[in-house]
Order: sequence, then structure tokens, then C-alpha cells
Amino acid sequence: MQTTLETQKQRLSKLQPLIALFVLCLIIGLLSDKFFTVSNFWNVLRQISVNICLSVGMTLVVLMAGIDLSVGSVLALCGAITAGLFKMGIELPSQNLYIGFTLLGASLAGVLTGALLGFFNGFVITRFKVPSFVATLAMLTVARGLTMLWTKGFPISGLGEQFAYMGTGWFLGVPVPVWISAVVVALAVFLSDKTKLGRYIYAIGGNENASLLSGININKVKIIVYTIAGALAAVGGLMVTSRLDSAQPNAGTGYELDSIAAVVIGGTSLSGGKGSIWGTVLGAIIIGVLNNGLVLLNVSPFWQQVVKGFVILLAVIIDKANSKNG
Amino acid sequence: MPLLEKKNNKTLSWLKYGIGSAVVLLLVYNSVYFRKLDEVKAEASGKFDAAAFAKTFLEKQLTPKLATAPDIDELTTLLSTDKNKAFEMYSHATAIGNIRYFLVKGQGTITQINENDLTIQTPKQQLTLAMEFIYGNALRDASGEFDITKFTKTADINNVSSELNKLIRASVVFPFRPKAKVGDTVQFAGAIALNKEHLNLTEIEVVPASLK
Repeated sequence: MQTTLETQKQRLSKLQPLIALFVLCLIIGLLSDKFFTVSNFWNVLRQISVNICLSVGMTLVVLMAGIDLSVGSVLALCGAITAGLFKMGIELPSQNLYIGFTLLGASLAGVLTGALLGFFNGFVITRFKVPSFVATLAMLTVARGLTMLWTKGFPISGLGEQFAYMGTGWFLGVPVPVWISAVVVALAVFLSDKTKLGRYIYAIGGNENASLLSGININKVKIIVYTIAGALAAVGGLMVTSRLDSAQPNAGTGYELDSIAAVVIGGTSLSGGKGSIWGTVLGAIIIGVLNNGLVLLNVSPFWQQVVKGFVILLAVIIDKANSKNG
Repeated sequence: MPLLEKKNNKTLSWLKYGIGSAVVLLLVYNSVYFRKLDEVKAEASGKFDAAAFAKTFLEKQLTPKLATAPDIDELTTLLSTDKNKAFEMYSHATAIGNIRYFLVKGQGTITQINENDLTIQTPKQQLTLAMEFIYGNALRDASGEFDITKFTKTADINNVSSELNKLIRASVVFPFRPKAKVGDTVQFAGAIALNKEHLNLTEIEVVPASLK
């Protein structure tokens, strides 16, 4: 009898983000007649696509009891590198040579840069035993500085229609960024639920020492996960740059907080080992709907930050209460 | 049997590397292209010259308008008493939305030199003068002289903003900044951006177009 009650409690705690989303939609829908419209639906989905990419990577990191504060800066750097290579290529005056990059080439260079920065994060964390908070905080500054150096502090704009398709185009009646984030989510769900790597990630987050003793190459898994997180931040960077038709040197500022918020609201435990990609997707939708609702209700941007802060706090308190009861 | 298995594994491994290499080569082939640099430069010279356009715009259209710009203290007084009138009389924008741009001029004393800006005290208020990051469309749009319909490409419009900001950085900010000291009086003219819906007059930042 008690076990059934506990199971029901666990089920209810898993459904909490969904219930929160439902209540949030209901309240905003009642207060604004523009909320339940088709255009706003696509608008919200398009807006959260970038956060979903970042948050999926962040979830994998947090599941291992780590954190990645560098995703916003990595997003900016990768967006800028992609835009710079696509628009200006590389000039080698001594050889009278111009190396041009196609959209594919520039995008691959951006994603590779993100993966490389993620790899570096993982390497520093595992090789030098630097806490992930500190290592990725350092990368946050390094990547932002590199973005300023690469762009000389100016936006790289005028990337053309072909480039803009990734962020503003439609495919089969659905915005392209939504397709991209759906593919990212599908791959991440497959990785976390159906592969050995996924099981290792949960195991490391649950108990790192036990994982080590059971023969898991912890360092390798950590480096792979940080590399994935970096690459996904780069994908987010491509979407932002494409959507704005411009790579802004200050793009992505504060995005790391939105992605951590999505992860936490989605029920992933910051101490690792517990959580899911689907929960994070729900968390990102909640953050997106909240942002959208506050704008529709004409709430000042300063108050929006206050409200978001309290929502995150509430999510953590509920998570703690659930852990205690569970 | 184990020998055959070993051979099969080796073949599989070669096949894997072979396919992998082919995919990488295909990606690289479709990713980059090589041309002679002088040819690329010659082609580029025939395109819209945003830098030249920005220079002419600054000298012929923006600078004359600065002389007739409202004093910033008078403007903020009007904004606090009759926001709609102030926006109608003095603001411009090329895009829709709540952000609109004003040309302003004024005089004040430098009270603080910060990493990215200067804090200025005018007779009525405190404001900042941007020194490091000259971003956005403020200068381009505030004059009301920038005709967006003459452009066929969004990229060219954005490039004008970018070039105008570069020009201001090089010709206005760089010569002025090393000489600026706390207590100096500065005469400035430039542009500000304000949100009509969420008007905030306590943190005004002027993007300078002229500093004396």
C-alpha cells in the first residue's frame, strides 16, 4: 500500500513540469488573447530552439554532476567564426590566394570550433582536476575575448538569404530551427537512453567512485560530453547568427543561465545522476512560454528577469522537497 | 576459424576507415574553394561601398542635422512631461517597434572615466558617453535622413550602420578618449535610443558623433 503511494508520488513529481506548463499556458491565455494563436505558437517554438540546443548539452553535463558556464560565449564565437568565414573567407596576400567557404564549410568550421572548445573544457577538467564551474567560467571569458578579437568588436552582418534560411526558413510547414532542435533532441534521447555512453553518464553522475571502480573510463566520458555540449552551443550559435543575419560580438550573453534554468526546471538534479532530456525540453518550453507571456503582457524587461529568477528558485525548492520525500 | 575472423575484422576496419575518409573528403570538397585574391578584390570593388556611403552620410546628412538637434536636458524634460509629443517631434526609426532614436547635443562635466564609457554630469542629469562599443543603428536612424527604401539588400543597410560606427570610433572617439580627464567640460552631439513603451530616462547612453 505504501509502495503504491510512493510510486504515485514519484509519478506526480515527474509530471510536475508538465502541470506547471499547462497552468502557465492557461494563465497567459486568459490574460492575453494573442497567446493561443498559430503565429505565436511557432514564434515560441522558434525562440526556444536555440535554448533547447544549449540545454540538451547542458543536461548531459549536469547529469554527470558538472556544469558548463561557457555555452553562451562559445555560441557567440562559433557564430562569429561561421559568419566571418562565410562572408570574408581567408585571404593569403603573400600567395595571392583566397580561400572561400561554402555555407556547409563555414557551418562545419563553426561546429568544429565549438567541439574543440568543449574538448578543451573536458580536458582541463579531467587532466588538471579543475572544478567544472571554474574551468568553464574561464572558457566563458576566453571565448568572449576571442569573439571580440575575431570580430574586432563589430557585428559581421549581411550574410545573405542562403545563410538566413537556417534561422528564418520553413520546411514542410515548420520553421527550420524547430527541425534542427528536434533532430538534436532525438539524437540526445537516443544517446542518453539507448547507448552505453548514456548509461555511463548517469552512472558517473550517480556515483563517480563506483563508476571508476566498475571500470568506466570517466575521463573519456567527461571529455566526450563536454565536446558534445560545445558542439551543440555552436549549433545554437549558427541558428542565432542566421536568424539575425548578423554575428553579434555580444550574442549569447546570459544564455548559459537560461539553459541551466531549463535543465533545473525540467527536473534534472544539479548533483547529477537524475534527469532526462525530455524534462529539459519541457523546462525550455516553460522558460520560452514564460518569456513570451511576459512580453505579451507588457511586463517590463527588468521585472521579467525578477520573475524568471523566482521561477528557477521555486523549481529548485520543489526538486529538493521531492528528493527529500523520495 | 579465428584466423578467418581476424581477417574479416581487418577488412571491416579498412572498410570503415575507407568510408570515413571518403565522407571527410566529400565534405571538405564541398566546404572550401580557392581563387586568386586579386580577382576576388576586383569583383568586390564593383559592389556597394558601404564605407564610402557611410562617410558621405556622416559628412553631408548627419553632421548638419546635429546642429539643429535638441539639447538633451530640454529633451528629457519634455519626455517626462509629454512623452508622445517628444517622440513625435524628435524621434526617428527605420524599423517598427518601440525603440526609437533621437539626435541630441549638450554640454557636461566628466565625473568618471569607466572602462567602456564616460559618465557625464549635465546641468540637469547624469548620463554616459559610449567610448568602447559603438554599436547599433542609433546614429544611422536618429537623423531621419536615412532612406531605407533606396536599398535593395538588408545586408547593405546593416553594413552602413557598421561602417558608420567604425568611422565614429576612428575619427571621434579615438582622438578624444586619451585626452579626457575627470573635471573636463565636454561638448557632445550624438544619438540616443529610447524605448517608447518602457521609457527609462535614468540610464541614457549617448553614442557620440561629435566631441569637443
